[in-house]
Amino acid sequence: MGKVIVVTSGKGGVGKTTSTANLGTALALLDKTVVVVDADVGLRNLDIVMGLESRIVYTSMDVIEKQCELSKALVRDRRVDGLMLLAASQKNNKDDIQPEQMKAICDKLRTTHDFVLIDSPAGIERGFSNASAGADEAIVVTTPDVSAIRDADRIIGLLQNARIEPINLVINRFSPQLVGNGSMMDQADVLDILNIDLIGIVPEDSEVITSTNRGIPLVYEDASAGAQAYMRIARRLTGQRIPIPDFEQKGLLNNIMNWFKKKK
Amino acid sequence: MANPIVALRAYRDGLHLIIRPHLSIAEVEEAIQQEISRMNRSLAGTSVQIVLKCPALEEEDISLLRSKLQETYDLTVRGVEVADAPVLAPIAAAPTMHTISPATDSRDSRDGEISRVVPHTLRSGQTEEFPQGSLIIYGDVNSGSEVRAGGDIVVLGTLRGNAYAGMNGRLSAVIIAMDLAALQLQIGNYVTRPTVNEKPRGYPEIARIGAEDVIIVEKFVKF
Ligand SMILES: Nc1ncnc2c1ncn2[C@@H]1O[C@H](COP(=O)(O)OP(=O)(O)O)[C@@H](O)[C@H]1O
Ligand SMILES: [Mg+2]
Repeated sequence: MGKVIVVTSGKGGVGKTTSTANLGTALALLDKTVVVVDADVGLRNLDIVMGLESRIVYTSMDVIEKQCELSKALVRDRRVDGLMLLAASQKNNKDDIQPEQMKAICDKLRTTHDFVLIDSPAGIERGFSNASAGADEAIVVTTPDVSAIRDADRIIGLLQNARIEPINLVINRFSPQLVGNGSMMDQADVLDILNIDLIGIVPEDSEVITSTNRGIPLVYEDASAGAQAYMRIARRLTGQRIPIPDFEQKGLLNNIMNWFKKKK
Repeated sequence: MANPIVALRAYRDGLHLIIRPHLSIAEVEEAIQQEISRMNRSLAGTSVQIVLKCPALEEEDISLLRSKLQETYDLTVRGVEVADAPVLAPIAAAPTMHTISPATDSRDSRDGEISRVVPHTLRSGQTEEFPQGSLIIYGDVNSGSEVRAGGDIVVLGTLRGNAYAGMNGRLSAVIIAMDLAALQLQIGNYVTRPTVNEKPRGYPEIARIGAEDVIIVEKFVKF
């Protein structure tokens, strides 16, 4: 029986779609069978980030309306074995789908795949309830800024009320330079507020934007810092115990400076 | 009208008793008496910092003031400092611990009052209201969440959200947090925006209505 994991955040633009595409691909590269599900009905873009836009014939809406079988609506990613996409309908909106219908789809996918990753839309309304309806676990993505964190906090409360557990945190667009000069919150500050388990930190990486535009998830070319971070998170999702590297560590001088800063 | 010789001011670290130039210590005592009687609430059990904006006082004048404040008004002197004169060391050592008691009057008896325990962190968007008594939170009150109580609010974690104690108008209600980092506090119909610190202070703080009818926030030691 596979795991259904919702990738969510509250705030838009923090990296849910990027994370879903990269973690899905990374898990497939680790020989898992994976379906990534776009739950952003009406504003879909997971297909673009995955580079599968041109191949979509059916969407989850067609499955719900019994226009086609679930297995037929899954688009196979030809670059790696075991990776599928279930696209969202672009012409409908979030209220056209009921949470129970999403749950039914997840329950089916769970029986045939190791991982089902659901790319949630921003917000706390119907789109979020649909995306999380069938989830066993959650990955909350946040950037290290107060407004994204407050929204993540709100979402964590809702996930806890829905008894979705565990809830793991990804800190995205982390910049050691900005933390170093005091203009970005560090990992400890974020965790102090959100108080859930950290599953990974993805650094700010200009390769992310390039890869989004090319429709090739970062993890296919594993040289970049972002790709390596996503690979590590994927390994952690499969149960491997891999330490989170200390992005903040930048030589002795910086450590001493930080030590003085903390003392103040 | 403002007293020309002494002023009582509430600051974040508690009450300050400011003493300006004067002719005799008797004049200062009289001014203190006037200033305290002008307050419409009791200061008993509070502590004050004496701030000298006048030529340094004799050691014996200070101890006279200290015992006078203690005996007549139940006000403990936390310390004495000379304002605007950083070169001079404080002339009397400050007691490091002081006791705070809320300005309770008989109408505010809490006998038989119940409290509610919230055994978890409150996250953004979550609220907890308990008009019948006090609230105790075993966790944080995060930014974007709100707690309201008829009585006191005690947060055994970090208070970042909004806290409203004494929501039915009880002015003796207090807010205590292990780390008080709220942007806004309300007690009865008084509101304050405490100064926010980058780093936690490392000690619990209490917010309550003090002299001059403003909410003061100070280190919490014990009642
Ligand atoms: N680690 C990163 N470094 C640089 N840019 C990033 C990173 N993660 C996401 N982005 C960029 O941020 C934007 C929003 O990302 P996206 O995944 O679409 O967010 P969401 O799905 O949460 O709305 C995109 O342009 C993406 O390329
Ligand atoms: Mg998205």
